[in-house]
Amino acid sequence: MPVIDLWAKDGYLSTPDGNSIYFWGFSKSETGPAQLPGPYIIAKQEETITVNLYNKLSEPVSISFPGQPVVTVGGQPVQPQYSDGQLLSFVNHAEPGGMVSYTFTPSYPGTFIYESGTNPHKQVPMGLYGGLVVRPADYNPNVKEYKTAYGAGTNTEFDREYLLITGEIDPDMHQTVEEGKPYHVSKYLPRYWTLNGRCAPDTMLMDHVDYLPHQPYGSIVMGQPGEKILMRYIGAGIDNHPLHPHGTHTRVVAVDGRLLKNGNVDLSYKRFTVLVGAGQTYDQIYQWDGLGYTPQNPIPTTLPNLRNMGIGDAGWTMWSGSPYLGMKGDIPVGVVSYNEFGEYYFMLHSHEELQITNWGEFPGGMMTWVAIYPSLSHDVGVLK
Amino acid sequence: MATVKKRFGATDGWVNMPDGTSHYIFGFVDITGVPENQIFQYRGKATLLAPLLEAYEGDEVYLTLTNLGLPSRPDLDDTHTIHWHGFPNQIPLWDGVPEASISVPVGRDFTYYYKPLDPGTYIHHCHFEPVEHIQMGMIGPVTVRPQLEKELGRKFAYNDENTAFDREALIFLTELDPKPHHLVANVQEFDWTEYSPEYWLINGRSYPDTVKPADDPSFPQQPFSALVEAYEGEKVLLRFVNIGFQQHCIQILGIPLKVVGLDAQQLRGYNGEDISCWRDAIYIAAGQTVDAIFTAPRAGIYPLYNRNHYKNTIAGTAFGGMVTEIRVLSKP
Ligand SMILES: [Cu+2]
Ligand SMILES: [Cu+2]
Repeated sequence: MPVIDLWAKDGYLSTPDGNSIYFWGFSKSETGPAQLPGPYIIAKQEETITVNLYNKLSEPVSISFPGQPVVTVGGQPVQPQYSDGQLLSFVNHAEPGGMVSYTFTPSYPGTFIYESGTNPHKQVPMGLYGGLVVRPADYNPNVKEYKTAYGAGTNTEFDREYLLITGEIDPDMHQTVEEGKPYHVSKYLPRYWTLNGRCAPDTMLMDHVDYLPHQPYGSIVMGQPGEKILMRYIGAGIDNHPLHPHGTHTRVVAVDGRLLKNGNVDLSYKRFTVLVGAGQTYDQIYQWDGLGYTPQNPIPTTLPNLRNMGIGDAGWTMWSGSPYLGMKGDIPVGVVSYNEFGEYYFMLHSHEELQITNWGEFPGGMMTWVAIYPSLSHDVGVLK
Repeated sequence: MATVKKRFGATDGWVNMPDGTSHYIFGFVDITGVPENQIFQYRGKATLLAPLLEAYEGDEVYLTLTNLGLPSRPDLDDTHTIHWHGFPNQIPLWDGVPEASISVPVGRDFTYYYKPLDPGTYIHHCHFEPVEHIQMGMIGPVTVRPQLEKELGRKFAYNDENTAFDREALIFLTELDPKPHHLVANVQEFDWTEYSPEYWLINGRSYPDTVKPADDPSFPQQPFSALVEAYEGEKVLLRFVNIGFQQHCIQILGIPLKVVGLDAQQLRGYNGEDISCWRDAIYIAAGQTVDAIFTAPRAGIYPLYNRNHYKNTIAGTAFGGMVTEIRVLSKP
């Protein structure tokens, strides 16, 4: 039986504009850093899993598993916890220095959130949340028909998969909590918006970069033309966020870990913007097929002299300088191009555009890229 | 298939609200066919909304963007782009994201090419510092018409006879926070996390201006009326667009709406299942579009408004804002 150990602790987040923000998060080990979001949990349908929570914070902490009907502690279903007659936790919690052990058996596959159930108005925005992926019982990543989000025959095959967890940060809240003062949730006013715990441009960095010890997950989505890229959105903040990927629509195949299918009737649909509500999850297939242009089948417009155009006004560009996938062109001198192999970059961002700033400064916030490479290792876009 | 050639100028201008205030905007102006030595007469004449871009499925669209500069902010040499929001299988060259390909400096041209294959309602907007350039007004509608219209000589939203309509209207939703418009006009910075709109617009106007004619001389730079007129029994397609920074909820008192498309995709399942649905309130998030059809009921005036009632206001006080009217007339 899989056992996951999580430690609730504190730490400091880093923002691209140089701020350091106190937060609470889950850690994989007793000595490791608290992280935002918490460690991804990968479980399997019909396979019982135990999550042990060790509480290193100075107030009670718990974990709720929305979408899991039966979670037990000590063989009994979890229950709300009260202190002096006041509600403290939606589920059994661990006292400071203590631990609590949750056990459940996911009965259906999908994408879920796990988050604090104790003073959640404070503890969840402070960072006590993470993603849970449940594999279908017949999941087999080595056989195409069985590498699916929802089981063979559900039209949810994928080639690569990515978790994208939305959140917000109100620095006043974090500072108030750090100082041990009461926080007025009605004053919630985010200044930062996060994907997988990072603000752009840090979202575009790889996983586990040294200088973001508390924010181990990048958000860059990579794939090849024609591939089925599974994007699993999770709304972990308090607000809703309309996520818009450039390049093409996504096909929404499941909401809240439930396949969009009634019997044989397929209810999946395509969108170019999905509103990720607080607490919701969306599973979607993004498949970019391109327009078929190559140097042999050239574009019907003339590429202007690039020195006369705006390229990399910020001092950098993701562009190759060529209209063609896998080709490189002449980026003007003085502009840094982060393009590696002539890959295409498509922005993926919140369309509440103030959310793609860091405290009002563009670029930032809830923004990343979908990168389409001419060829890409099979090791990329694997959730482990 | 036809070839559509269009040319938009990027520049600035001013828009008027019903309380007598005017607000500085950035935007686009249609300069298709204007002789080269006359295009500078269009500086300062940006419109809210930007011109409609319209094509049939399969057409070849060449859209040239010319950056005419900002006469009221001559110090500001921002580049601009056109992003066709929602265009499937796009390549970065024509996607209009400055960080991923090209933007257009003052005095320069760039031609975007599109061969749309999926009918529906889209959006075009500038993607340079989008929080600023979108709020400042560089936003416009895009309509792609289905081939079925040409085959049958009638109007359809999609390639399906169930999406037939007699008339169509645009319900294009945005907000306007006067503070950034004022600060940008006066060469000052705005903290976008303080965004707090005061005006709620349909087609670039606030009610009661929404029901005034398109060519009303009081709104030289707001050429889109939002008045919807139809005869009893006619089918009316409403093309909802939200390119504000907030979710909106639109209701028409007395008229249910059949939602047939979202984000320029007909509501059909993976195997062609009909998943269209009836709604009395259209919830629409920033960056989404909705196609909905209604049958005009008995003659009368049917108000269209935002169910978040605080948005049916002008500068927080007077009744107005995100309101327009459906006027149904008896058959002639
Ligand atoms: Cu612009
Ligand atoms: Cu957009």
